[in-house]
Amino acid sequence: MTNRTHFDQELESLKLSLIQMGDLVIKNIHLSLKSFLDMDSDLAESLIKADKEVNDSEYAIEKECMRIILREQPVARDLRLITSILKMITDLERIGDHAVDISKLTIFMEKSNEPFHVKEINHMVEVSEKMIKMALESFVNHDLDLAEKVIEKDDIVDKDFYTIRGLVADAIRESHIDADYAIYLMMVAKYLERIGDHAVNLAEWVIFSILGKHVSD
Amino acid sequence: MSQDVFKIQGLNLWYDDFQALKGIDMFIKQNEVTALIGPSGCGKSTFLRCLNRMNDLIDDVKIDGQVVYHNQHIYQKNYDVINLRTKVGMVFQKPNPFPMSIYDNVAYGPRCQGLKNKEQLNEIVESSLKKAALWKEVKDRLKESAMELSGGQQQRLCIARAIAMEPEVILMDEPTSALDPIATLKIEELINDLKENYAIVIVTHSMQQAARISDKTAFFLMGELIEFGDTDFIFSTPKHEQTENYITGRFG
Repeated sequence: MTNRTHFDQELESLKLSLIQMGDLVIKNIHLSLKSFLDMDSDLAESLIKADKEVNDSEYAIEKECMRIILREQPVARDLRLITSILKMITDLERIGDHAVDISKLTIFMEKSNEPFHVKEINHMVEVSEKMIKMALESFVNHDLDLAEKVIEKDDIVDKDFYTIRGLVADAIRESHIDADYAIYLMMVAKYLERIGDHAVNLAEWVIFSILGKHVSD
Repeated sequence: MSQDVFKIQGLNLWYDDFQALKGIDMFIKQNEVTALIGPSGCGKSTFLRCLNRMNDLIDDVKIDGQVVYHNQHIYQKNYDVINLRTKVGMVFQKPNPFPMSIYDNVAYGPRCQGLKNKEQLNEIVESSLKKAALWKEVKDRLKESAMELSGGQQQRLCIARAIAMEPEVILMDEPTSALDPIATLKIEELINDLKENYAIVIVTHSMQQAARISDKTAFFLMGELIEFGDTDFIFSTPKHEQTENYITGRFG
């Protein structure tokens, strides 16, 4: 039984807003890579515009968190929840920015650049999207084990990054890759690697909201 | 590290057949503010009154366990209760100045102890009123009736009256619940200053107040001490679900 039905509803609404922001960011990463691999600059342009919605979400959630802190004076698990959300929206917004970065590379690329396909790039997106989804799911369900699995998965993303780096380096040496495309591809891989790191941050904040201490403590 | 002023071990208290305190173990440290929180009827004020034996004034009270003040069990036979209540002062929820002048309110206790020297009394009154952050407001009207003061001023006068007895501990039973927000904040600021020289134990119904001003918090529920620890931990990561449910307002 709770004496704070209204407050509980506000917290549920806040969690939902976070999930919706996460879904938006995942969609944007997915489409940003598609735009790069397909050299689709129209799609890339639309994704750059779509980032405004991500930024607006961050601002709205932040404002709501501040309002709740002011009005409800949360303590203990409620305070940990709200401070975790405040930190997580920063990481989600940064992920959204990386989707924009990838989209901008698509626009910079010229259609004459010869693409060089590496399956690991698709794998990186797949794994990092899964990491974000798992982090958000662990947040909603207070699932410590799932949050810890997100952190473990980052090794897979890093491994793919280093594999791509090796493949690109070999291709450069053997003149099997367009020089400009090689640079763009490595930049995309780096952005995806950073997205993996942000997903780890999300999971770490979930752990903090459950246990009350940061993994580095 | 602060010293223990009070050590409480296995404290039980009954009002007739009703057990109001059950096996309380805790300590009160010098130069700290200890907040006692919990729902109405949980035993916080009863516990507070154990520290200066004010429960002696209530019929059919039975106590066992130990309340040790400076290595002496205060409930032992022939313990000097008058001296205890000098050293362990008390401030109540409703300000209760005596119906006399501001000066005489503060001088009352020292006079009862036999102090007659005017200069010494003047010094004690001024010093106590300064420590209670009231001097500037009343220094030019010490002969006026204390009943003319505002509620917040009256409460600070009561604190000055307690301080005049040179206590070591000041017990406060919901000292701000009858005051307006500004007066409340002034008392809270005062408590923050007072802890430099005294141990303070405060019963409060306001979780926010406990979080703002205390170093340690003790959560009582149905006569039991559920959790006791640093205020920062109690309000961020309490160990017990009952504590968390109470401080987050989920507890009915």
